[in-house]
Amino acid sequence: MDTHVVFDNLTVAYGDQVALQDLSLEIPRNQIFGVIGPSNSGKTTFLKCINRTIEFIPSARVSGTVAIDGLDVLSMKNVYALRRRIGMVFPLPVGLPLSIYDNVAYAPRRAGVGDRGELDTLVERCLKQAMLWDEVKDRMHMLGTKLSGGQQQRLTLARALSHRPEILCLDEFSIAIDPVTTMKIEDVLLELKEYITIVLVTNLVQQARRIADRTAFFNNAHLVEVGETETIFASPANEMTHAYVNGDFG
Amino acid sequence: MASPEYVVLAVEAEKGGEHRETVATLEDALDTVRHLAVEIVEGGRKPLRFEIACTTPGVKVRSRGTPRYRFFVNARGEGAGGDGSELDPWAAPDTAAEQLAAHHRKGVLELREGQRIRLVHHDTFGATSLERRKKAAEGLARVVFSFVVAAMIIPVLAIIGYLFYRAWPVLSWSFIFRNPEAYMTAGGIWAPLVGTFYLAIISLLIDAPIGILAAIYLNEYAPDNWFTRTINLAVLNLAGVPSIVHGLFGFGAFVLFARMGKSVLAASCTLAVMSLPVIVTSAREALASVPMSFREACWNMGATRWQTIRTIVLPNSMSGILTGVIFEICRTAGETAPILFTGAVFYYSGLAESGVDWLLPYGLFDTCMALQYHLFALTTQVRGVSEEIQFGTAAVLIALTLCINSVSISLRVYLRSRKKW
Repeated sequence: MDTHVVFDNLTVAYGDQVALQDLSLEIPRNQIFGVIGPSNSGKTTFLKCINRTIEFIPSARVSGTVAIDGLDVLSMKNVYALRRRIGMVFPLPVGLPLSIYDNVAYAPRRAGVGDRGELDTLVERCLKQAMLWDEVKDRMHMLGTKLSGGQQQRLTLARALSHRPEILCLDEFSIAIDPVTTMKIEDVLLELKEYITIVLVTNLVQQARRIADRTAFFNNAHLVEVGETETIFASPANEMTHAYVNGDFG
Repeated sequence: MASPEYVVLAVEAEKGGEHRETVATLEDALDTVRHLAVEIVEGGRKPLRFEIACTTPGVKVRSRGTPRYRFFVNARGEGAGGDGSELDPWAAPDTAAEQLAAHHRKGVLELREGQRIRLVHHDTFGATSLERRKKAAEGLARVVFSFVVAAMIIPVLAIIGYLFYRAWPVLSWSFIFRNPEAYMTAGGIWAPLVGTFYLAIISLLIDAPIGILAAIYLNEYAPDNWFTRTINLAVLNLAGVPSIVHGLFGFGAFVLFARMGKSVLAASCTLAVMSLPVIVTSAREALASVPMSFREACWNMGATRWQTIRTIVLPNSMSGILTGVIFEICRTAGETAPILFTGAVFYYSGLAESGVDWLLPYGLFDTCMALQYHLFALTTQVRGVSEEIQFGTAAVLIALTLCINSVSISLRVYLRSRKKW
């Protein structure tokens, strides 16, 4: 198994409150890695460590290592290059106050893509992958902020794909999206994993079961169990995991 | 002791519709209520309230105070309770009276002297007493607030109106475009007006870039530590320093230390120092009004801080920043104390009546006249100036301020209408 991201003894605390305790974990390349767990269990903190957006929280203290392809993320000099390799979607949809087209073209333009034709192809591809193309193709110059919540969330997803990330982190991406579209996006994710590693944090336990190759269960700032999704759901080693995936708590 | 009598009072919803009858027993009284109710409804009018009061003959009926029983007709289940009317509200006053009579026959409903029964008729969507109280409070608040607004506006309008009324005889194009003559007792106000423009614009050129850049640093880059907090505190304190202190500072720092002499430049620098903290504060507020989530979305895509500022933050906060800057010009144009020692003079000797020297009388290192100082000179320092000229000068100064303010406000309205989220 080819590992892509390695967490080693990662501990994160906000002030006195420990959000992640001694997390050691490997995320394999070109797979969908599901993360489940009740709220306040450290799932989002875990994602924020991958692209170092954890730094935006002034009170956060991080120790341990996160390595992508063997390179230590936390001591990396060029954090912008790091973030360009990672696509990130957070639960609340954010449409930038730009046109739909400019929303998706934002990251490529910042990375120096100026050719109109190339941008057009890229924008169309990303919007199609996010299942938004059919709804907006005739109004690409409408403001992204005027879309509905679910559409903005898919716009956020399209943006996250626009800079061709090698790791895609999704934090509850389907929270504002209807179930039918969610299923379609899940199919796209299954195609995307051919060349992208996907980290899928989800409260929908069944979503992890449907598409994740491996799944980790977090509880109370600790990693409780990690393994093949089938194992986690069918015969988990830990009783808490068993209770959670069967809906007994959480 | 005389046996008690029962006074029946029926009040209609329309003003003046009142019926009063006196009967001997409660049963008769309830019957009268029923008759009156039918009569009122059949007459196409609306009943409001029925009361039965039990009194001693000859004693006046007290109509104030809480009645012994209160019933609601056609209320939304809001009966007084205990009689079942809260569960099954009566549809009309006559059925109510009938049923009350039944209660009375069973001995449940009795009145002693001085007690009353009240039947209140509500429309289905009629206001309850709580709603009426809320409505009254609402109306009172409206009156109080509009009174406060009026108290604010009326003095402003009065001042402006009076100024222009008194200034009217001298207001003309030649008053604006001609220089003061005959020891300022005649002529116009062109030279001081241009001086004010010079000062406002040059100080703006100095402090707007510095202020906006400082605001960007403070809001977008500065980490939250003791250094940043010290700067914030300094900025706030600087904004509170009296303008005469700024004037003295400018005299020391620019006129003497920087060897600018008493000049347009020194006065502009002093004004710039004075308005810098206000510009920094207003620009910071404008920047902070852009939601944090926009910045985070950009950073998540690997955009640098400056790319984010340039593409998202600045375009969406420009309206606020510009408004702040323009309001500040306005204030600058009216300040006298800072220019008193640093650049303004009573009278500038090199005035010309035509040509470039008329249009632009001052160089950067010349002293200048300024409208606000000119007004001070006219009113207190020069003998024999007609009041019209004094009022005229004040009116032009106010008009200038109003013009700049309205530009600023219309700019803000325009940019807000294009707000993107």
